[in-house]
Amino acid sequence: MPPRCEPTLLTVALVGNPNAGKSTLFSALVGVRQRVGNYPGVTVEKKTGRLVHAECQYELVDLPGLYSLAPRSRDEMVAVDLLLGRDPAVPAPAAVIAIVDAGNLQRHLYLVSQVLELGLPTVLALNMVDIAAAHGIAVDAEKLRRRLGIPVVVTQANRGVGVAELKAALDDAVRRGPRPPASPLPEPVEDEVTRIESLMAAEAADSRPGQPAVRYLARRLLLDSSGYLERVLLASSDGPVRSALGEARRRLAEGGHTVPAVETASRHHWVRRTLDGVVTRPSQYRVTLSDRIDHVLTSRIWGTLFFATLMVVVFQSVFVWAEPAIDGIEAVVDAAGGWLRTRMAEGALRSLLVEGVFGGVGGVLAFLPQIVILFFFIAVLEDCGYMARAAFLMDRFMSRLGLSGKSFIPMLSSFACAIPGVMAARVIENERDRLTTILVAPLMTCSARLPVYALLIAAFIPARAFWGGLVNLQGLTLAALYALGIAAAVLTALALKRTILRGETPPFVMELPSYKWPSPRTVCHRVLARAWSFVRCAGTLILTVSILVWAALYYPHDEEAIEGPYRARVEQLESRLHSAAGDADRGAAAAELRAVEREIHGEYQRQSLLGRAGRLIEPVFRPLGWDWRIGSAVLASFPAREVVVATLGVMFNLGDEVDVESGEDSSEFAARLHAARWEGTGRPLFTLPVALSVMVFYALCAQCAATLAVIRRETNSWRWPLFSFIYMTMLAYSGAFLTYQVGTWLGGR
Amino acid sequence: MDGLIPIRQLISGQSACVRRIVGRPDHVHRLHEFGLLDGTEIQMFRRGNPCIIRLAGGKVCLRADELLDVLVAPAGGQPRVAAQT
Repeated sequence: MPPRCEPTLLTVALVGNPNAGKSTLFSALVGVRQRVGNYPGVTVEKKTGRLVHAECQYELVDLPGLYSLAPRSRDEMVAVDLLLGRDPAVPAPAAVIAIVDAGNLQRHLYLVSQVLELGLPTVLALNMVDIAAAHGIAVDAEKLRRRLGIPVVVTQANRGVGVAELKAALDDAVRRGPRPPASPLPEPVEDEVTRIESLMAAEAADSRPGQPAVRYLARRLLLDSSGYLERVLLASSDGPVRSALGEARRRLAEGGHTVPAVETASRHHWVRRTLDGVVTRPSQYRVTLSDRIDHVLTSRIWGTLFFATLMVVVFQSVFVWAEPAIDGIEAVVDAAGGWLRTRMAEGALRSLLVEGVFGGVGGVLAFLPQIVILFFFIAVLEDCGYMARAAFLMDRFMSRLGLSGKSFIPMLSSFACAIPGVMAARVIENERDRLTTILVAPLMTCSARLPVYALLIAAFIPARAFWGGLVNLQGLTLAALYALGIAAAVLTALALKRTILRGETPPFVMELPSYKWPSPRTVCHRVLARAWSFVRCAGTLILTVSILVWAALYYPHDEEAIEGPYRARVEQLESRLHSAAGDADRGAAAAELRAVEREIHGEYQRQSLLGRAGRLIEPVFRPLGWDWRIGSAVLASFPAREVVVATLGVMFNLGDEVDVESGEDSSEFAARLHAARWEGTGRPLFTLPVALSVMVFYALCAQCAATLAVIRRETNSWRWPLFSFIYMTMLAYSGAFLTYQVGTWLGGR
Repeated sequence: MDGLIPIRQLISGQSACVRRIVGRPDHVHRLHEFGLLDGTEIQMFRRGNPCIIRLAGGKVCLRADELLDVLVAPAGGQPRVAAQT
């Protein structure tokens, strides 16, 4: 009779090199739709799922793709902590599934040799045997199983082949319990490990020698000559361990086992011995379809040309394809707002719903189509394997900035959203480069800026076409704003690498995975996840800010104090309107009445909480050409840039009686902005220089609390988000200032 | 050892054996972990800097410079390429 399942949920860790098909296997094992990446380091977050086999359940944890368990970066530390049960959030794993690419065993078994040292029950998933076979590579799985002494299961994760067998093998391995840890390191190294281990155990009262975790950490401490682990693991009081490490390394070097070369040499030696007679490969490389594609796409001329064309097509599509959908959403939002306006009695609630909710959130929601399209392209490019080629092509340029091609992937992701961009920077090993990338990534034009740009461009940039409609001024303005973001990022990166983050250009080594058809499921999943997070943001954060801005602009709403002085005039005008003889007279009276109503409406805003506060700080915004309304709308958008569309909507929508002449191709919202005047004058508020100055401000500012929070998390300090915020805000203010002043000087008025 | 050349000097399609990696110890160690170490057979796929090499059944791109360089012993004189259609 087989033993029953454990009553508690056992944790199983999934470990593998990047591009081994780990994320796909994870999805196949847990049946949860997942983001599947194709470039190194795509699994940047800890993902978990429920693995069910017969009556047993396991909690499967997907670790970041790794080449080695020698922790020298945060990503690797996460993996090691989890495997050793040092992660407080996850119980120590009961077993490990190691996944390797059958066509790349020579490289992928290196990590497996480190995993075997943990002594945990381990199952090897020999993945992508079909692709290996296409390359003429054959692997004898049975022989490999005997050599390694652990179960080896042949899988094709993308087709679900071997998944059931893998689950059964895992179940079996868990029941058998821990294996003796095996290490291919030479004896003198293991002797030194024993010495360090007992020293560490003596220091820490709660651990005894012989515990796998302590021995493993002792080994890693000894082999990690970069000092990263010493900094992370050892307190300053651990002087004895530190000096013992130094002595041990010296003794080993004298004996011909130099750290860290001894580790790679002995492991690779072990891999070669293990694979001898297991893998047969053709004497010559077979030219595959991927190779033929790469002959074109990585070429300096054709590849660069293709890359540039691709970028143009992507950004063009974002605007052309999105238009009908945007119009549709706007029409629905306008209709709903209009319907409410006619059905509800005038008052605070109607004002809140129509101006606060529909005016605010509706304006933001209209940009969903563009975000969906942009994320669709990024997901496709990532999943088919092109992203790594783009990084390869961009390395030449990035190395001139003192960065590497690896920084390009986070930056491209930042065109969609800076948050995944900042997280994708984890693949960069060099700490200074990672920091530089994180600090400049938010300057890339993310999708949250699109609502701001789209609104102001549609409203204020003339739709003039050149060259038979091939290029138009609105498109050019948008391209210029993207270019501004890139230029600012390039200059900032140069400045950072020459000052506070000075350092040599890092080495650049990256795998180029084989091309594959993007999986529709993966792409859909990623696009939907992004779209949903945007909608959720619109539904919560933006809704809250919209309501707060509405309230700050509506209250105290003292009718007596504000309408009192006008009452006599309004009554007089109303009676004139009723008794007017001719149409001309009636028209004049009506116009005058509207003017008075506008004055009353303006007075309400001025006397509101936001109005009073805004006017107090107006001098700060004056040099940018902004009045207090724009200034407070911008301040209120601190949580997220796209909020400004909502706050402007609330700001300029309040008081429905404002004259609106809706143009043919400009929305009602745009018409309202056109109608806005400097208070007390007939001077239009939004001139071309003002609109440009607002857009330049948003191109450069750090108005995104979520990005700042993620920078805080990724750098583990408040210093860098604070630095980002200050430098970007300064950049944004100066940029907006210059734009407005130069624009006005050029006669844009 | 004579016959060692920097990896950059390989022509496309030429095979070689890695003999020595020179650079800062931690950078060298990274390459070792990546599977690029003494005795590894490689083939140049695309020259340039960064270049693309074939390594153990996959393709890898690599920038070699004075900070981190890979010295290789070219295999034979003839570049080996599988029969192309």
